[in-house]
Amino acid sequence: MNHFKTTEGYEEYLKDESRFTGTAESISFPRSEGDIQAVLSELGPEQILTIQGARTGITGGAVPLSGHAMNLSGMKNITGLRFNKEENCFYITVEPGLTLKELRDRVSAGDIPVTGPSAGLFKSQPEHFFPPDPTETGASLGGMAACNASGARSFHYGSVRNYIYGLRLLLADGSLLILKRSVQKASGTRFSLVTEGGREISGELPRYSSPDVKNAAGYFIKPGMDLLDLFIGSEGTLGIITSLELKLIPLPGVIWGGLYFFREPDKALDFIIQAREYALKPQAMEFFDPGSLRLLMEIKKSMNTFSSVPAVDEAMQAACYLEFHGDSEDEVSGRVVYITDIFEGLGGNADDCWLATNPQELTRIIDFRHAVPEAVNLSIDLLKKKNPSLTKLGTDLAVPSRHLKEMYGLYVRDLSRSGLKHVIFGHIGDNHLHVNILPADTGEYEKGRLLYGKWVDKTIECGGTVSAEHGIGKIKKDFLYRMYGEENVASMLALKKIFDPGLRLNRGNLFR
Amino acid sequence: MKIIVCIKQVPDTTNVKINPETNTLVREGVESIINPFDMYAIEEAVRLKEKYEGTVTALSMGPPQVESALRESVSLGVDEIYLLSDRAFAGADTLATAYTLAAGINNLEGADVVLMGKQAIDGDTGQVGPGVAENLGLPHITDVRKIEEIDGNGYMTVQRLLEDGYVRLKVKLPAVLTVVKEINEPRMPSLKGKMRAKSKEMKVWTAADLDIDKERIGLSGSPTWVTKIFTPPKPKGGKIFQGETRDTVSELLDELVKGGIPIKRGGGK
Repeated sequence: MNHFKTTEGYEEYLKDESRFTGTAESISFPRSEGDIQAVLSELGPEQILTIQGARTGITGGAVPLSGHAMNLSGMKNITGLRFNKEENCFYITVEPGLTLKELRDRVSAGDIPVTGPSAGLFKSQPEHFFPPDPTETGASLGGMAACNASGARSFHYGSVRNYIYGLRLLLADGSLLILKRSVQKASGTRFSLVTEGGREISGELPRYSSPDVKNAAGYFIKPGMDLLDLFIGSEGTLGIITSLELKLIPLPGVIWGGLYFFREPDKALDFIIQAREYALKPQAMEFFDPGSLRLLMEIKKSMNTFSSVPAVDEAMQAACYLEFHGDSEDEVSGRVVYITDIFEGLGGNADDCWLATNPQELTRIIDFRHAVPEAVNLSIDLLKKKNPSLTKLGTDLAVPSRHLKEMYGLYVRDLSRSGLKHVIFGHIGDNHLHVNILPADTGEYEKGRLLYGKWVDKTIECGGTVSAEHGIGKIKKDFLYRMYGEENVASMLALKKIFDPGLRLNRGNLFR
Repeated sequence: MKIIVCIKQVPDTTNVKINPETNTLVREGVESIINPFDMYAIEEAVRLKEKYEGTVTALSMGPPQVESALRESVSLGVDEIYLLSDRAFAGADTLATAYTLAAGINNLEGADVVLMGKQAIDGDTGQVGPGVAENLGLPHITDVRKIEEIDGNGYMTVQRLLEDGYVRLKVKLPAVLTVVKEINEPRMPSLKGKMRAKSKEMKVWTAADLDIDKERIGLSGSPTWVTKIFTPPKPKGGKIFQGETRDTVSELLDELVKGGIPIKRGGGK
């Protein structure tokens, strides 16, 4: 068992991609559920512990504030596979440290070290895939479950929650819960679970309701809910995920991607609003504002790694990326024609649209999409070199559809008045845009922080969420209290106490 | 201006696997793509057309499935597409391929500029471009990294990539050029281009359509003999030095000296 003191060489485990840094007295790297149990018993009943995966999160959720850091990135095994004939889906069981990229690579290569009839079927069946696609493919699956991650394709496929069918969890006291979808459900707001040791855990669910938008803020609560869903998105505050059963669905035969360019950003918004009315709407809908396109072209000129990003005509002020999944080229091209009619109806020109219809072209266009957040991060790193106290100000707000234009208008007005350099991009299909402010100095950072606070209030007023996909972690707690109110957050904390009476797990996440 | 671009459909070798028993490429499940270097030739041809006006014709030799590569070139701005396809062309080496492509170009009544990639990523010979030029009796320049201009007297000025720089050359058109990836950045296909590609008529020519010597095409026209194909052994060992540059350089020098490489140390500032 590797159970280390935090000494030199482990500093990187005290931070995540948010650049938020904490501290810990010790760290462990368990390789199995048994290892985790051994660490828990070694730590004793008092010690605070923070669970980590790949530390790619951007809210400080995996950053320890004190006590012990338990890093699960070494638990990468694929331990099971079963086939459901009626659904034509595979269910794959993985350990929490396996990353999204590793899962994708191993699934597409058929590298599943499991024997039995399903393993043979897996090789003979057409390709299956795991739909959630957060941009950060280095994320661990345990971490993705903990913050209910999503991505561009969640517009159609939904968040990670929809693809988790089973969880094994160790509670802070070392007892094991095995949860399966549709097996353990709340009865109204009453719930009861039994650990493998036979201990019954029961209680009352909080009474608040989650907003009707893509959401990753606070515990997922619904009367009669599947209790598995309580743990998905709970940011490691209820239990330690030791194993996940994930659903793999058939890979669509045809995937096309179109990047539609606009000379006016408002037209891009109208395009999205009209396109998502279409019955056969695209599987992903993403947006890039003028600042995104300009930043990308600036960074393309100055950095070699971005030189292969295709060049954008300078006259273009916004772009929308739409992805179409279907069974045949005829079907998909029919849908593209329909969407293109909307585009042309808004004054768009089919020459101002890139269309990818084969894997090479699709890779180029997806690389373009991913290059925008990368360019933002690089710009922040450059700014930090000049002023180390600066960090990224990136929002994760989502609002109901009817408020999309209002919210975008507010961003643009506030930002142009403030003169702050900024980039707005993201999952516009779900009215979920990331506003990233690139502050040049501390004064600008403060200015940006105030605007962020204003937008949070507006979002809450519209019935939206303060975090649609990144989670709350340690750096957005105040927003959670503003969104749900003190009383409702207190009811979340009361629920946590049922599973973790000592408040030992991931202390500092969600709650003040 | 009339521009012909010769393209080749190749297996996508970015994720290629080698069968360790036969030492040949595992082709099952491998996508076919336009030879990546030819993508730069297509882009350059379309840019020349946009600058000097004219037409771009893409020409390829291969089995019927090459149609998808030719159609893809239309989506990138190519105007006309021709495929040389006949069982008699099968098994051609670079000599027979160059001869056949040249015959195709003659059937198209020549061009002002013939462009192609510097080599194909499957064969990697780089012989077909110069071979086509010789068959046509035209001058050729390989490894072109920039086309500077075409003057009023029909001379083209280009930069040819060298290991340590480039050489500027002037050539009287018509001429054959092979291009390197430094020459441009291929555009993304547009939606309009894709629509055009779908409906574009592709002409297919067989051996009977060309004015050729049957003995000089396909396998019979190919003197190349492949006697052995093998995978070079992976280099073993190696050492990575990590840490501060100052220390790692010093460690590296020690290691090299230990390995018998005479290195004089000190003196640097």
